[in-house]
Amino acid sequence: MASRAEGGVLAKLNRLGTRIVLFFVALLVLVQGLGAFLVIQANAQIARQAMDQELEQGERVFKQLLAQNQARLEQGAGILSADFAFRQAIATNDTGTILSVLRNHGARVGANVMTLASLENVVRADTLDPARIGKTFAYPDLIHLAGIEGRASSIVIRDDKLYQLVVVPVLAPEPIAWVGLAFEVDDNLAKDLHQLTGLEVTFASRTDGPWRLHASTLATDLRVGLQGALTGDDGIGANLLDVGGEQYETRVVPLEARPDKRVAAILQKSLQVGLAPFHRISASFFWLTLAGLILLVGGSLVIAGGITRPVHRLAEAARRVQDGDYTRHVQVENRDEIGELAVSFNHMLDGIVSREKEILRLAYEDGLTGLPNRAMFYEQLEQATRLAKRGGHSVAVMLLDMDRFKAINDTLGHTVGDQALREVGDRVRKALRESDVVARLGGDEFAVLLATGGADAPKVVAEKIHKALEEPLVIDGQPMDMTASIGIARFGEHGEEADALLRAADVAMYEAKRTKSRFAIYDPSHDERRQEFLTLLGELRRAVEAGELVLHYQPKMSLAEDRVTSVEALVRWRHPKRGVVPPSDFIPFAEQTGYISAITRWVLARAIEQCGVWERTGLRIRMCVNVSARDLRLGDELVHAISSSLQAAELPAGMLCLEITESALMEDPRGAQATLRKLRELGVATSIDDYGTGYSSLAYIKQLAVNELKIDRAFVAGMEADQRNAAIVRSTIELGHNLGLSVVAEGVETDHELAELRRYGCDAAQGYLFARPMPAAALERWLSGARDKPPGQRADILGEV
Amino acid sequence: MSRLVAAYAISSMALCGVGHAATLEVEVRDSAGAPVADAAVYAMPATGPTETRGKVVEIQQIDREFVPYLTIVQTGTTATFPNRDPILHHVYSFSPAKSFEIKLYSGRSPSEVTFDKPGVVTLGCNIHDWMIGYVLIVSTPHFARTDATGAARLRELPAGSYEVQAWHPRQREAAAPQSVTLEAAASRPVAFTLDVAPRKAKYKPPLDRLKY
Repeated sequence: MASRAEGGVLAKLNRLGTRIVLFFVALLVLVQGLGAFLVIQANAQIARQAMDQELEQGERVFKQLLAQNQARLEQGAGILSADFAFRQAIATNDTGTILSVLRNHGARVGANVMTLASLENVVRADTLDPARIGKTFAYPDLIHLAGIEGRASSIVIRDDKLYQLVVVPVLAPEPIAWVGLAFEVDDNLAKDLHQLTGLEVTFASRTDGPWRLHASTLATDLRVGLQGALTGDDGIGANLLDVGGEQYETRVVPLEARPDKRVAAILQKSLQVGLAPFHRISASFFWLTLAGLILLVGGSLVIAGGITRPVHRLAEAARRVQDGDYTRHVQVENRDEIGELAVSFNHMLDGIVSREKEILRLAYEDGLTGLPNRAMFYEQLEQATRLAKRGGHSVAVMLLDMDRFKAINDTLGHTVGDQALREVGDRVRKALRESDVVARLGGDEFAVLLATGGADAPKVVAEKIHKALEEPLVIDGQPMDMTASIGIARFGEHGEEADALLRAADVAMYEAKRTKSRFAIYDPSHDERRQEFLTLLGELRRAVEAGELVLHYQPKMSLAEDRVTSVEALVRWRHPKRGVVPPSDFIPFAEQTGYISAITRWVLARAIEQCGVWERTGLRIRMCVNVSARDLRLGDELVHAISSSLQAAELPAGMLCLEITESALMEDPRGAQATLRKLRELGVATSIDDYGTGYSSLAYIKQLAVNELKIDRAFVAGMEADQRNAAIVRSTIELGHNLGLSVVAEGVETDHELAELRRYGCDAAQGYLFARPMPAAALERWLSGARDKPPGQRADILGEV
Repeated sequence: MSRLVAAYAISSMALCGVGHAATLEVEVRDSAGAPVADAAVYAMPATGPTETRGKVVEIQQIDREFVPYLTIVQTGTTATFPNRDPILHHVYSFSPAKSFEIKLYSGRSPSEVTFDKPGVVTLGCNIHDWMIGYVLIVSTPHFARTDATGAARLRELPAGSYEVQAWHPRQREAAAPQSVTLEAAASRPVAFTLDVAPRKAKYKPPLDRLKY
C-alpha cells in the first residue's frame, strides 16, 4: 500500500506538468529569495544611509534655521532699538517709563525678557526681575561685541531657562544705552524646528552638574530617558541612543561650549520611524513575492495543463489509432507547437485512412480496369454461394478469355493490350446489370458473377457480352476485332463451392475455345477432354527431346511438268502410347501455349537437313515448311535460325519455301511484311497457305514479298459441287498469275478437280490424289518410279526425279 | 568749509576788536603724532563762564549730512537748521545739554534752538540713521576747531589765566585741561595729545535712489 502510494507520487513527479510547475516554482523561489535577500540587505543599508543623510541634512537645516532665527531676532531688536519713540522714552531717564516701553516694545518682537543697561554696563531696567536694577549686566561680553558689531547674541541660561539673548545699542544717534532682548528657547521653538527638519529637537545645557533639558519635542517620559542617556561634555557617547526603550539616531549640535557652560541642541530620529518606509518596502516586497509565487504556481499549472492536456489527448488518439479506430480526429485547441503536432497527427490519421482505403482498394480492385479483382470476386462468389445454399438463389459464374489476346500484347505492345483490356472490361461492365459482378481475374481473363436470374440468364448474358464486343475496338486509331470465349458454370448443377464453380467455368471456357464456339456451359465430359489436353501438352514438351516427333512429306505436283518439284513437311507425333497423334490434335494447343516455336524450329532444322541430304543424293526437291503467325513474329530470330540451318545443310536458300497461313499474316500485317522481306532477301521462297480463308485483299498480298498462293482445300473440295467455289478457285488462280505468283491447290482428291485445275492453269497441286504425307524413306521409294505406290495413286502422274 | 571758517574769523575779529590781545597756538595730535582734525579747543578764563545773547549759528543739512560735523558755540547761542536737501529731515537731540526735536521739514528750519547749557549735544536725523552731528556748548567765547593739520588758533585773548581744553566727539579719553597765563599781546603754543576713534561709516544709500 505504502509502496504503491510512493509509486503514485513518483509517477506524479515524473509527469510533465508537475515537472514544469516544480521547475518554475523552484526557479522563482530561488530568484525571488535571492532578490529578497539582496533587496532587504540593500534596503537596510540604504535605510541607514538615508537616515544618516536625513540627520545630516536635518542638522544643516537646523543650524541654518537657528542662524536665521538669531538673525531675525537681531534684526527685530535692531529695528526696535531704532524706534524713535522707544529712544525718546529711554532718553527720558524715567524708570517707570523705561520699564513700560521695554515691556511694550518687547512684546512687539516677542521677546520674553527685556533688560536695559547703561553704557557703563549697569542694569537700569529689567522686565522680569527688578532686583537686578543697579547690578552689573550679566553679559558684558555681549555688550562689548555689540559695541563693535552693532548687535550681538548668545544662548544664555537664566533662572534655569534657556534664552536667545540679543544685545543692541540704543542710538540717539550715538549709543545711549544697551538693550537686551531675551527670547526663550522653549518647546514651541523646538516644535517649529522639528516641523522644518523632521527631527526630534531637544535643547539641553550643562553648567556644573548633570545635563538638563530645557525644551524638547519628545514626550515627557522620553525626556527623562534622554536626560539619563546624556553623559560627558559632548552629551552622548554614541550616535545610537536608547531612549525609553526606543532606538534613536542622535546628533549633538553644540551651541555653547564653554567649560563652565555647555548648551547643545540634540537632534534625533527614531530608528523605528526612520526605517518605517523601508520596512514597508520590505513588507511590500514580501507580499509581492508571495503573490508572484502564487500566480506563478497557478500560471505554471495552467501552462503545464495547456501543454500536457493536448499531449494526453494526442496519446489517447495514438492509442485509438493503435486499436484501429481512425474515425476520431484530435481536437486542435491552439496554434502552438502542440497544436501543429495535433494538426500533423490528424493529417497522419487522414493519410492512414486514405492509404488503408487505397490498400483495400488495391487488394480488392484490379488496378488496370478498376473492376473487382480475383480476391474480391472470390469473396463475392463465396458470399453468393452461402446465400444460395440458404435461400436457393440461382448463382452462375462466367469466365471470359479473350481470343488471341496474347498476339495483341506481343505485337502491339502492352500499352495497347492494357487499353484493349480496359475497353473490354468497360464494355462488359456496361453490358450487365449493376447487381452483376464483373471482375478481372488477371491477364485477359474476366469473370462475371450472376446472382440473380433463371437458368437461361447466363446464355442471355453471354450473348450480350458477345454483342458488346462485336464492334471492333479502336485503339490508337487502329481497329481490332476482339472475341471472347466464355465458360459458364451454374450453382448447384456444377458445384456448390466457389472453387468448384470457378474450375467448372474454367473448363467450360477452354471447351468453348477449343470448339471455337462463343460460349460453353460446363459439362462433366469437358473435364476428361481437358485432362487429356493438359496431359498431352505436358507430353508434347518432352516429345521434341525424346525424338517422338517425325516429319512426313507430302509431294506437290507441278502441273506443267507433271512431276514432283517440292514436298510439304508435316509434323507427326509418334506418341509412345497413343500412336501417331494428328497435328490438328496438338498444333492448336502448341500454338496456344507458345510451344509451337520450339516445334517450328525443330521442324525447320529437320526439314532443311533432309532437303540437304536429298540434294546431295541428287534428289532435287524444294522443301516447304509451315510457319505459324507466332513464328513469324520472331522476325530476325526466325531468319537467323533458317539461315544457319541452310548453311549447316549446305542447301541453297531457294530450296526452302515457308508456308504461312493467311490469318497469320493478318494478325500482324506490318511485322509479317518486314519478316517476309528479309526472308526473300535471304532467298527463301514464301507461300500463303489456306488462301481464301482470311479477308486479305490481293492488293495486300501484292505488297507482301511472297512467291506463291495456296488455295485452301475447302474451295478445291467444293469445286465440283458448287460452281461458286470453282469460280473462286479460277479467279484466284488468274489473279495470282496477274500478280506474278505461282498458285498451288491443296486437298486435290479427284481427277475432276485435277482436270479443272489444269484447265484454269494452276501451277501445282497437292493432295491425296497424288500421295499422302509419308516418311522420308517412303517418299524416296515412292519417288523412285512409283514402285511403292500408295494406294489410290496414279503412277502416270508421278514425275521424273 | 574754508569759506565758512574765513567768515567766522572775520566775525570773531569784528567782535573782539583791536587791543592788547594774546594768541594761543594750539596743536592737537594723537599719540602716534598724527594731526587730529575737527577737535574743539577752547580756553576758559579764570574770570568765570560767560554767556552770549542773540548769537545765531547755522547747522545745515547738505547731502544728508550735518554741516558742519562739529559746531562749537558759546552758551546762549541760537542755532538754526536750514535744510539744503530736496528731501525732508527730522532733526533731534536726546542729549541732556539740549533735548529737542524739529519734525519733518524742508528749507528753513521751522524753529530755532538756543543752547543755554554748556555740554555736548549729539544731533541726529530720525529718518536718516547715519546722519550725526555734534554741538559743543562752551561758556566762553574763546574756542576754535583744528584744521587738517591739527592746528587751531585762539586769538584776541585778553591777558589773564585760562584753562585750555581740547575735545573731540570720538575721543577715547578726555584730555587733561592745561592752565596757561597769557601776557598781553603774547603768543603761546599749547599741545594736546588726543586719541580719536575713527569715524564709523554707517550705511548711506546712494543719492540717486533718493531722487524719487
